[in-house]
Amino acid sequence: MIAFFKYLKGYLRIRVSGFSPERFMNLCSNKGILLWDIVREGDIYYMCIHLTGFRLLRPIVKKTGTRVAILERYGLPFFWPRLLARKVFVAGLILAVAFWLWSSLYVWDIEVEGNYQITQDMFFTFLEQNQVTIGIHRKELDIEELEKQIRRAFPQVTWASARLEGTRLLISIKENDAPIITDVPQSKAGEDLLSKYSGRVVSILVRSGVPKVAVGDEVEAGAVLVEGKVPIYAEDGTVREYHLVEADADIVLEHVRHFTARLPFDYVKKEYTGRVKQQHYLRTGKKEWKLPADGPFLVYDTLIRESRPMLFEKLSIPIYWGDITYREYQDVEYRYSAKEAGLQLQEKCKIFLESLEEKGVQIIEKNVKIDVDGTSYLLTGEFLVQEPIGTGKGSGQ
Amino acid sequence: MEKKEYLVESLKLPKDICMGAIKVSLTGNQEAWIENYRGILEYTECQILLQGKTCQVCFEGSRLSIDYYTNEDMKISGCITCVKYL
Repeated sequence: MIAFFKYLKGYLRIRVSGFSPERFMNLCSNKGILLWDIVREGDIYYMCIHLTGFRLLRPIVKKTGTRVAILERYGLPFFWPRLLARKVFVAGLILAVAFWLWSSLYVWDIEVEGNYQITQDMFFTFLEQNQVTIGIHRKELDIEELEKQIRRAFPQVTWASARLEGTRLLISIKENDAPIITDVPQSKAGEDLLSKYSGRVVSILVRSGVPKVAVGDEVEAGAVLVEGKVPIYAEDGTVREYHLVEADADIVLEHVRHFTARLPFDYVKKEYTGRVKQQHYLRTGKKEWKLPADGPFLVYDTLIRESRPMLFEKLSIPIYWGDITYREYQDVEYRYSAKEAGLQLQEKCKIFLESLEEKGVQIIEKNVKIDVDGTSYLLTGEFLVQEPIGTGKGSGQ
Repeated sequence: MEKKEYLVESLKLPKDICMGAIKVSLTGNQEAWIENYRGILEYTECQILLQGKTCQVCFEGSRLSIDYYTNEDMKISGCITCVKYL
């Protein structure tokens, strides 16, 4: 702290030599001039003195017959005139500080965290609709209102918090992990369970409703498997009334599924010529400035690489730069060989079978063949499968 | 005992103020704070001679330097080997 005040007032390192430097020091102390770091080297004394004290030295020097020489100048009174000589630098410094103060009044970055179901795009569209965009004045931002609007707009958000950290708006949300329960209207009319395919019933387990088929029965597509109309019999054995329920059962049906995939003989492949052109750009928010560059090629695709310098990221300044690479390519036509086509088609077939297995379908028998059909290869497959089935449709009345 | 000294003693007054005695505070043999002096008579690397109101004080040692020097007090640092009252 003392050093800071010394710097503020300004001080000098002086060299004192002559007849009686001790007398010089005594006179200084009598006049209230502070001296410090007094060191003697041979006949010469080195010491520090305040600028104000130095201005009072002339009579003392005359009286004692000593000689004083300035060695070093320290402090603000010496630094300031040097600074003022560099007017542009000072103006730049003042402008930079002013710009920094002015820009700190705005929101320069918006960060959303905790969103899983709500995508970033959805959230930013919502913020735009509510006039919360990059560059908004901090005063215009009503955080509490924003939190309410988030909860109102997204029912799956159970908790929302927005806070300003410097020039960055941080929005944290918590989404409901549990599925949203929507009220499924209970059908009072009751529902039958119909067959989607034609096939043979392999197993049947009914939870509600009246089964209309047995294991081993052949059924047609659309046939009623389980009826949602449960008869209630009177004492005399006649049907008194029907109790309508939603038919529910686990039924496995064995049927044949067909799969076809077609692959044309010819296909087009992008072949890069190796010629690339690059264009650099700078982007702030939605505005973009591109450096002049030659026009791209006749046929090309683009690769955009964008980054934000670490400094701007830390300061939450939305300045991005990047480059666009234009890559020239040619569409070259190729023809599949029989072996290549076979592999491609088998891959498609494999994906289809995997999707079936995911649905719990058991494949009993496979019959796959690849033929040439006009200008393409054709894969046809017949699969004997055992598939869980049953779809509620139709009225039980 | 002189009258003044007797009075100061009996009233328990500080002697450095009333009698003009030099006040020397030493911290080990590295630092010395001196108050109530008149001025420096001699200053070399191995000896600093101070004039007090009633006597002279001589600090002997090596690498002696004056950290600060005002009308009120001063600080000597270095390796002090001897303090003599002359």
